[in-house]
Amino acid sequence: MLLPGGRLQRYLHTYTPAAPLATFRLAFGLLVLASVVRFWAKGWIAELYLKPKFFFSYYGFEWVKPLGPLTYGLFAVCGLCALLVALGWGYRWAAGGLFLSFTYIELMDKSTYLNHYYFVSLVALLLIVLPAGGYFSVDAHRHPARWHDRVPRWTVDALRLLLGIVYFYAGLAKLNSDWLLEAMPLRIWLPAKNDLPLVGFLFNYPWVAYAFSWFGAFYDLTVPFFLLNRLTRPYAYAAVVVFHVLTAVLFPIGMFPYVMIVAALIFFPAAAHERALQWLRRLLRLPIFAPRAPAPLVYGRATRRLLLLGLGGFFLVQMGLPFRYLLYPNELFWTEEGYRFSWRVMLMEKMGQVQFKVVDGATGQIRMVNNDDHLSILQEKMLATQPDMMVQFAHYLRDYYARQGVHCPQVYADAYVTLNGRLGKAYIDPTVDLAQEADTWRPKPWILPFDDAISGL
Amino acid sequence: MKKTLVSAFVLLLTAWVMFSCQKDPGSSTPDPSPSATPDRKALLTQWADSLIKPGYQRFDGKFAALKNKTTAFTTAPTTASLLEARQAWQQAYVEWQKVEMFEFGPAESVSLRNHFNIYPTDAAGIRQNISSGSYNFDLATTIPQQGFPALDYLLNGIGADNAAIVQQYAASAGHRRYLTDVVAKMDQTFGKVYAEWNGSYRDTFINNAGTDASSSLSRVINAYSLYFERYLRAGKVGIPAGTMTGTPVPEKIESYYLRGALPGQLATTAHAAVQLFFNGRSASQPSLKSYLDALGAKDSRTNQTLSGIINTQLDASYQKLNSLSPDLYAAIRSRNAEAVASYNEMQKAVRMLKVDMTSALGITVTYVDNDGD
Repeated sequence: MLLPGGRLQRYLHTYTPAAPLATFRLAFGLLVLASVVRFWAKGWIAELYLKPKFFFSYYGFEWVKPLGPLTYGLFAVCGLCALLVALGWGYRWAAGGLFLSFTYIELMDKSTYLNHYYFVSLVALLLIVLPAGGYFSVDAHRHPARWHDRVPRWTVDALRLLLGIVYFYAGLAKLNSDWLLEAMPLRIWLPAKNDLPLVGFLFNYPWVAYAFSWFGAFYDLTVPFFLLNRLTRPYAYAAVVVFHVLTAVLFPIGMFPYVMIVAALIFFPAAAHERALQWLRRLLRLPIFAPRAPAPLVYGRATRRLLLLGLGGFFLVQMGLPFRYLLYPNELFWTEEGYRFSWRVMLMEKMGQVQFKVVDGATGQIRMVNNDDHLSILQEKMLATQPDMMVQFAHYLRDYYARQGVHCPQVYADAYVTLNGRLGKAYIDPTVDLAQEADTWRPKPWILPFDDAISGL
Repeated sequence: MKKTLVSAFVLLLTAWVMFSCQKDPGSSTPDPSPSATPDRKALLTQWADSLIKPGYQRFDGKFAALKNKTTAFTTAPTTASLLEARQAWQQAYVEWQKVEMFEFGPAESVSLRNHFNIYPTDAAGIRQNISSGSYNFDLATTIPQQGFPALDYLLNGIGADNAAIVQQYAASAGHRRYLTDVVAKMDQTFGKVYAEWNGSYRDTFINNAGTDASSSLSRVINAYSLYFERYLRAGKVGIPAGTMTGTPVPEKIESYYLRGALPGQLATTAHAAVQLFFNGRSASQPSLKSYLDALGAKDSRTNQTLSGIINTQLDASYQKLNSLSPDLYAAIRSRNAEAVASYNEMQKAVRMLKVDMTSALGITVTYVDNDGD
């Protein structure tokens, strides 16, 4: 769209080998499968989706709930779809199944929200429409007509663009005074790891936190561009590996580093992917996946148009969504209005405590709520710093105590939150009956002011 | 791929060399001296060797005296032996306040607190146990029928006056047996904990020096703030003063059957122990305070040190609590607003420990993946 008409047309008609899509599909499918297995093996399905009595749903998705013991089946379906995507077996259906099952899992409870889960959902959505199943796949072997060795270049670039957005927006989010001028939250997180072998002692020095902060912001903002350039690519990819391995060692962010390390391979040229696939063919003795006669994928006019329009819309949303926080009047980190789905990763050290009080509307009798009677440790931790979850929990408490015989229960929250090393302060207006408030996209006036400023994006 | 790995390694090395070199000219940031570096292992060692083990040792002494005096009393129930047993019970109960917060590791695995200090005690259940003669102190239902609160009832509340109490024990083998069994269960439970600390657990404790959810630091801080919040703030003052329900229930106070000066003494002793644990026995030794100072933990709005803010709040909270003495029970009834104010002051300190301090320490509270709060 930014290109003059002629060049855009030429770009849209450029073809590229299908190998990058195939390796991406394979690696991504296996990684998601590994994620599912890991999640299951750690017992988190029971801990996070079976034990709690209440789940925090997303706006508009209140109908998405854990399925009781069938939740295990849901995870099994998700893992199976991931495997089928990796193999390219019933690819389109498998990608659809992966997107639906993975997204359903993520929508069940927002206290488990992670940016990389959101990333996995988005990639799975893209994979449904991208022609990643026609090369080095079971489908191509069984149905020769589906075999394609060349695909329109924009189908590969779509994945590169998504990855570029993730990095660049993560970098933009770091351009704020807490991150750059105070080296927060790394100044808190790094000394907690000062017993690491070799490098641990460095984390006692504040300047190291500054160096990490500035390097992190620079890295996120620039790495997609360095990955695009042929000359800088090897160094940029090395930086990707080092950076993410370091974050994996330092922070409890699970599979995220590995997902990014693998996903960034998409930036390598087709020849490299082709070599990798050849090597895999030999290693696994899979002559059946050997290339056939050249066959570029040609879309029908209508399909192509629909695909391009769909992708265009998708990326417009992706680029706009992280800026929705500008529509809210107060400090983003404090209120978290518009915080999720914006690639804000490892940006703040926020901790809180919230005490709910239920008052009988008729008798005035007071009951204090033990959060841990109803919630998991993770839910409690997330609840304590996120106002939208407090309203949802207040509604649950209202209904719960109404069933216990309390008349018109009023629910008040007394919350205290610390953000990036500032002494904690009262977070929620304790005189507001949250049972009467709704969780909407409007600003929440009962969040007390931050009384400080974090400048930047 | 191989090439990439090599370049990755080279880059890592370069980064490391860069960091290491920058240290030399960086004279603006003074080299952290050993004491100014956040050193968790030193902190854990100090806790184990100067607070926890000596604390348990002192308690062990007081508890041995309690055991002797109750044995003497059950062997020959007289007013004199009752008074001696009661005095030993008071002294052990006060000493217990200094170690109850250590509910992690061995104490946690035997649920020491459940066997020692859950109140209000279940007097009806105790009477029932005595008359039936069959009870199992490992069952959850018997938790409020044992420990110091049960001894409170057994030594102070079971008769209208000393003579009546002595008479009760002289007349009933069931009473003598129950008193003996309560003390024996406490002895057995504490004995396990004490032996583990004197055995291998001390090294396990100090070597688990990370900051994840299973680290010693994380467990200590959890136990410490939970103790202050639930068992000191709520248990000793909040619940009896009615802050949870709006209705005071002074009979839920600790050591209800003796009352007088003891409940207040227990509460202030516990509070002092919390503050002592924060500051350590001496300023030159590692403590939570010195660790927070080494981290440079400050309120970035005012630039005051977090340890200073916490100490100021603990001082204020102690004063309010102490002002409810000498008779906490009477204060809760007649000066309820002051008791509520004392609770509120403790609540401020609880939040600083639970939220501000925990955040500054960089402790993770769950094992589940988390990409940044």
